[in-house]
Amino acid sequence: MSHIHIPDGVLPVWLWLPGWILALALVSIAGHFAEKTEARRKVPLLAVVSALMLVAMSTEIVPIAYHVNLTVVAGVLLGPALSVIAAFIVQIVLAMLGHGGVTVLGLNTLMISAEMTIGWALFRTLVALLSRTRVRWAAATATVVTLAITTTLLVGIVALAGGSAASRDTGALDPRSLTLANPLGQGVVHVGLLSGGERLVPGSAETPIVSVRRFAIIVYSLGSIGWIIEALVTAWILGYIARVRPGLLWHGALLEHGRHLIGDEVGQSR
Amino acid sequence: MNIGSIDRSATGDLGWLHRIAPATKLLALGVVLATVVVSWNAFLVLALAIALVGVGASGRLDLRMLLGLAAYPGLFALLFAIASAPDALTGGVVFLKAVCAGLAAVTVVLTTPYPQVFAPIQRIVPGLVGDALLMTYRTMFLLLDKFGSLLRAVRLRAGLRGTHPVRSARVTTQALGGLLLYSFDLAQRDFDILRLRGYSGRLRVRATRSRDRRVDAALLGGALAVLAMSVAWRLGSQALNPYSWLLPLPALLVLAVGLIVSRRAS
Repeated sequence: MSHIHIPDGVLPVWLWLPGWILALALVSIAGHFAEKTEARRKVPLLAVVSALMLVAMSTEIVPIAYHVNLTVVAGVLLGPALSVIAAFIVQIVLAMLGHGGVTVLGLNTLMISAEMTIGWALFRTLVALLSRTRVRWAAATATVVTLAITTTLLVGIVALAGGSAASRDTGALDPRSLTLANPLGQGVVHVGLLSGGERLVPGSAETPIVSVRRFAIIVYSLGSIGWIIEALVTAWILGYIARVRPGLLWHGALLEHGRHLIGDEVGQSR
Repeated sequence: MNIGSIDRSATGDLGWLHRIAPATKLLALGVVLATVVVSWNAFLVLALAIALVGVGASGRLDLRMLLGLAAYPGLFALLFAIASAPDALTGGVVFLKAVCAGLAAVTVVLTTPYPQVFAPIQRIVPGLVGDALLMTYRTMFLLLDKFGSLLRAVRLRAGLRGTHPVRSARVTTQALGGLLLYSFDLAQRDFDILRLRGYSGRLRVRATRSRDRRVDAALLGGALAVLAMSVAWRLGSQALNPYSWLLPLPALLVLAVGLIVSRRAS
């Protein structure tokens, strides 16, 4: 499912704030870990892979509100540590372009990181089991399983947010603020605009912020179409790379191809 | 998503929003987001959306682009609302919240060059992350351009046809694969260029200052006033809700003024 398309202000603060803190902590750890080795080479690499994901995400399949993410492709090429950083970068750019909430940026980073890391681990495991000649099958299977896991994570997050009454105390939904008394009194312009559950009746049971069951049904049904599309795209791309430049898959994107700048033949500045 | 147009809008000197310091705009964005988080009054969120369009218009932004970009998160929010909201009103508020946050974020991006938008984030994250963030945006332009050219070439060779969807999908993904390989070569070239220019592991961005501090203060003051109103409405909802219908009126005034300013300037 890649990332959460939930607007700002829907998820409670107690959920998105730890998401931000955890994401920043992970990015800092991954950043410091990555900086220890070949840091300068990783900057353009991270940039191009993140940009590639952004290019893919900018094309939406309208009827099912889905877009290709290429998270598994990026995860396979970058590995787990750089995946966390790439996920963070992608989410910041998307949030600044209005594509996704700012408050949910931390949770989105964790979701994409999980998707890239799980995708990378599953792909490696499946290739080891099936052999390197079945890259497409491994890629497609890894993608479907990864997306199924992250979609379940997404439903879990929504259930946490919407299923508990505590969310209202933290600002997610306060029915009282939605209650609208007739502004001109005695029904002059009363059109029932706000009728339908938002009025707080003392002693009544609170309505949950979201219907988790309905959300899960829609996400799993529409999402499964997206999983198939993503699996096909991932399989074709990774299959193409395995055929054209297999070193990228088996030795990583930072494989040294023996290139040196003129005047730096010994590669001392690397 | 026409990123070229976004960049042209951000770097041009179109209106008063472009002259405000990026730090102030980011601060105002934070305040507007806080308002979006706090508010669950349908009229208040609607008023905020109208006011934001008005502010964008007065800043001489391309309204079609502004609304188009803000509609993108709105579309996903609509799906979320349909999937999960307990009633139509809550769904509507969820949709409006997404549009408001989108409008605010897009207004900042359309009026601020991207290095200035990312500079504050660059200061709090490790150097590698900050530098990669700055380079990503630029690389995105190059890749979008290249991908467009690749698809055009495939189309001219009859590789993309509506009558052959499977073949078209395969060719498109192969183009994406080609783009991926091109992007790795691009990364290697970028690395070589950075090294030649003495890159030492940190790209520095100098913050742009405000041209008129009074305008900065007005923008921030306006954003804080909206937040204060939203908090007041939340706390005193029982007493204030009967007057909720009044909220869109000043917002419509802002929109009208914005449209007049925009029309006069053009």
